[in-house]
Amino acid sequence: MNEFVLALAVNGLVWGLIIALIALGLSIIFGLLDVINMAHGDFFMLGTVGGLAIAVSTGSFWLALLIVPLIGLLLGAAIEWLVIRPTLRQASLTIVTTFGLSMIIQETVRATYGPQPRRMAAPIDGTIPLFGIDYDLYRIAAAIFSALCLAAFFLFLNRTKIGTWIRAVRHDPETATSLGIPVAQITAFTFALGTAMALLGGVIAAPITTVEFRTGIDILPFCFMAVIIGGLGNLQGTVAAAIMLAVLEGLVTSVVDPTTARIASLAFMSAVLLLRPHGLFSGATR
Amino acid sequence: MTAARARLICLIVFAAALLAVPHVLPAFGATFWVNIVAEILIWSLLAASVNLLLGFTGLLSFGQALYFGFGMYGVALSINNWDVGFLPALLIGIAAASAMALATGIFAVRLTWHYFAIITVVFSLIFYFAAMSTKWLTGGDDGMSFSPPPVLEIGDFSLTLADTTTQYYVILAVVAVAFAVKALIVNSPLGLSFKAVRENHRRAALIGINVFRTRLVAFVIAGALAGTSGALFAFFGRYASASYMFYHVSGEAVVWAVVGGSGALLGPLFGAGSLIIFREIASNFWENYLLAVGAITILVVMFAPRGIAGAWNDMLQALTTRSGHASDTVADTAPAVRNNALPEER
Repeated sequence: MNEFVLALAVNGLVWGLIIALIALGLSIIFGLLDVINMAHGDFFMLGTVGGLAIAVSTGSFWLALLIVPLIGLLLGAAIEWLVIRPTLRQASLTIVTTFGLSMIIQETVRATYGPQPRRMAAPIDGTIPLFGIDYDLYRIAAAIFSALCLAAFFLFLNRTKIGTWIRAVRHDPETATSLGIPVAQITAFTFALGTAMALLGGVIAAPITTVEFRTGIDILPFCFMAVIIGGLGNLQGTVAAAIMLAVLEGLVTSVVDPTTARIASLAFMSAVLLLRPHGLFSGATR
Repeated sequence: MTAARARLICLIVFAAALLAVPHVLPAFGATFWVNIVAEILIWSLLAASVNLLLGFTGLLSFGQALYFGFGMYGVALSINNWDVGFLPALLIGIAAASAMALATGIFAVRLTWHYFAIITVVFSLIFYFAAMSTKWLTGGDDGMSFSPPPVLEIGDFSLTLADTTTQYYVILAVVAVAFAVKALIVNSPLGLSFKAVRENHRRAALIGINVFRTRLVAFVIAGALAGTSGALFAFFGRYASASYMFYHVSGEAVVWAVVGGSGALLGPLFGAGSLIIFREIASNFWENYLLAVGAITILVVMFAPRGIAGAWNDMLQALTTRSGHASDTVADTAPAVRNNALPEER
């Protein structure tokens, strides 16, 4: 029994690392653009669908893992230019525009890819014994790869010129402009990067989830929970909260049903929103 | 002719057209459309609840489906368990939604903008999941059906919802009363304090308006409107289902409110009306009509942030001023959303 609980915790950790990647995309978009992106779950869904489509047509999952995030970058840049920038003046209404965007993405996928849910074969076969059960090797690989991507993201943000610019624009766009930082391009790039991270998370998750046009609807509330509990705009907090939430939900589901676990995390999130609106880790570095 | 008089004439024509619907449409062989218009009237109340918060109080709620759901279940549960009549069931539905709006509003209206939008979604999600998992009470996804009691029964005479025309007029009457109440509130001193809070909550607080209480009152009234909508929809469909509490229903209401014009009283009716009519026509031959709905939503926010009602008022204004008379009234449509509201709130 105890071992079964540990396996659930590991499962939560795997999901938590993937979700952290997606939620981080949501968090940088919010932090820089003040946009609540209701279409972020659908970006993730595009990643799963695109990953499956490319893996099937080229026969290589690893190629999909490379191509899909690049598509995400281009798509994000295009969407930022077409939809987000013109409505950025009315920051609150971007919730409405991204909701419209979400409808467009879902319907486009339903029209082209079809409404039926599909499953994707894992690119790494085999299982390893873990706490008494046979655990999919791919899930372990997915967790490690997600962790590497998270590390790469923070290295990029803290150690490169563009990363420094992103942090500067987040901190104070006006000063950044006066220092000669191309704020408009950095803003567009940040949105594109956030989109690409959601698509990347989608490809990684494609073999362990169902692939269909509705996949994003379930993932969106979870990403929001991670972003809120971690603190809106607090990137490390988002990662910590995503992992913590997924592990806790994994553990709680060993006692109660998943819906109750979800209700508990949502209630926890409301408490954080009301009592500590800057997140659970607001005392830590921002 | 002044713009105000032109607007009054348009309103009378519009009301007459709504009254004529069950007699005119069947004459053209479009009996089916009577129910569509009834459905538009019901959903426009849900859009009106978003409209009251967004357009008149400056709060964007993404969780009005919760109060819609409470209106539905108030009706379904009270009829199934206590065998009550039409009017008590309707009132129980509205009361349940208002009570829920009060209980959640006490927390929600402490936050604004992004935070308010998120916490309203979260509250609605909590109760959506709760309703989905308490199947014994709510029927979950499948919902629960009931047989609606007669609307009025005096001796042998009885009015029932089984007759499409009667059902239409009952819905029209309730919706008209709800819109009239909303108009009275918006034009009362209370409505002015809503607008004061929307424009600048610090100044509003300085002249003695209790900002928290004003927002809470607006939130409860909006909950009551959403509850009325849900109660009517339960009577209309003869069932209640937890699936109507999902955030997509709230999102749809926001889309209707914004497309219709979030600062105008009748905006929700235009928004829900045009998009539902579009759905009914387009879905016959185009499965993916939602693509167009998404595009329309984005284009309206970009190019006509005051929505259909805003464009209509501008047109009336232009037409009536061109005819030689200086207009004496300014259309009371408020700017859809203030650009400066966000930075100020943070």
